[in-house]
Amino acid sequence: MSPEISNQSLLFLIVFVLVPLWLSYYYQLGLKRDIIWSSIRGALQLFLIGYALNFLFDLPAIQGIPLMLSVMITVASFHAKKKGEGIPRMLSTIVIGLILIEGSVLSLWLLADMIEFTPSQVIPMSGMVIGNSMVAMGLAIERMRSEFKENEGRILAALSLGAKPSQSSKIILQQTLQSSLIPNVDQLKTIGLVQLPGMMTGLILGGVNPVTAIKYQLVISLSIFSAVSISAIYITLMTYKYFYNDRMQLKRMESE
Amino acid sequence: MYSFHNVHKGILQNINVTIEKGEKVIIFGPSGSGKSTLLHLFNRLQDPDEGKIHFKDNPIQSYHIPDLRNQAGLVMQAPHLFPGTVLDNIKYGPSLRGDWREQDGEELLAYVQLPTEYLSRDVNHLSGGEQQRVSLARTLANKPEVLLLDEPTSALDQHTIEEIEDVLEELIHEHQLTMIMVTHNLKQAKRLGDKGIFLSEGEILESGLILDLLETPTTTSLQSFLA
Repeated sequence: MSPEISNQSLLFLIVFVLVPLWLSYYYQLGLKRDIIWSSIRGALQLFLIGYALNFLFDLPAIQGIPLMLSVMITVASFHAKKKGEGIPRMLSTIVIGLILIEGSVLSLWLLADMIEFTPSQVIPMSGMVIGNSMVAMGLAIERMRSEFKENEGRILAALSLGAKPSQSSKIILQQTLQSSLIPNVDQLKTIGLVQLPGMMTGLILGGVNPVTAIKYQLVISLSIFSAVSISAIYITLMTYKYFYNDRMQLKRMESE
Repeated sequence: MYSFHNVHKGILQNINVTIEKGEKVIIFGPSGSGKSTLLHLFNRLQDPDEGKIHFKDNPIQSYHIPDLRNQAGLVMQAPHLFPGTVLDNIKYGPSLRGDWREQDGEELLAYVQLPTEYLSRDVNHLSGGEQQRVSLARTLANKPEVLLLDEPTSALDQHTIEEIEDVLEELIHEHQLTMIMVTHNLKQAKRLGDKGIFLSEGEILESGLILDLLETPTTTSLQSFLA
């Protein structure tokens, strides 16, 4: 049976907040308000989402799942969009990408009978895929911006040699994708050795047999790996062209 | 070959220039006077805000942009080589059009006086002068009619500068190229150019034979620039 943490025990968590608070005070980091506010906000958010999940899990799957997935995709899209400020149609591009990625991953899970179409299984698993895809898209956009800046000379060289934007951006795309994928490859290599992944830990604490927990972890880890790769490739391919105008010139140079 | 009519772009004001086929034109002037911007207008890496540019008697916009850039090849101040080998770099332009022949590699290296075995070298293992020669060979691979040079020797030592100048002189003569070069190096201007354009704060203050400009400047701006 899953053990439950009592409310009194939870109160002791305040110790974990006092440590950074003391550090902030001692080293004059000026983070006192942020630490208190983020701890309270975090706790409240988690409880609220706990109650929301209870509500959603009680709904019929056909209502609860689309409802929660829509909320997740909307919030994730607005968050990832911030990294792409100035790039046109960023929000719709991210929304479409997340829907496609989540849709394909979920279809595979269901078709291969890995999970059941119930809110309690689909929502937490999908949340991980959407959250990681959101981060991957944000990072890829950020990385692409800096690669365009860093490699401006090479891009100009390629354009001046007759390359079209799709050809001159190839070096940038390679580097952006590489840096998006490498952390995931590294993470997969050390999975379970350096730290037990969150989902697996949760299942084990909930009383599930470790080998069963590992199976779920494998499903989610490989799904995230794939979703992150597709997210990075998708967002890079969809947005690199906005760095050029229709005359095969770098937009940044228009105003110079 | 090129004619500019009342061209304005950023700092550049009212630029009127005519360049004939086979001329060797030097663009010079103080930093920030718009020299590189002017050079970028020749191959449409930038476009004017106002005014008209003609290339070979046709409006420059009438050319397919990659074709125009092949005909007016640019060599930049820094070589900006692509990761990979010398061969990867020099075949870049022709490969985009499926126009690369293996035997071209040796010929191009010979133009810039580098030994054939350099073809397989990683560009990171080349000296600054060698990298600039590869950059020049990469541009020549497109068989341009016009060579646009943006201070191609400014980061090199005197000995290497002279070597590159020798290479350029021979190439321009042998292939009868039109050359448009931005340089700060007045000795180089004298050696490689036959016409000059003196730019200051975005305006052409003097133009004519380079020797006349350097030896008998008429404006006070050019006189103080040369002093």
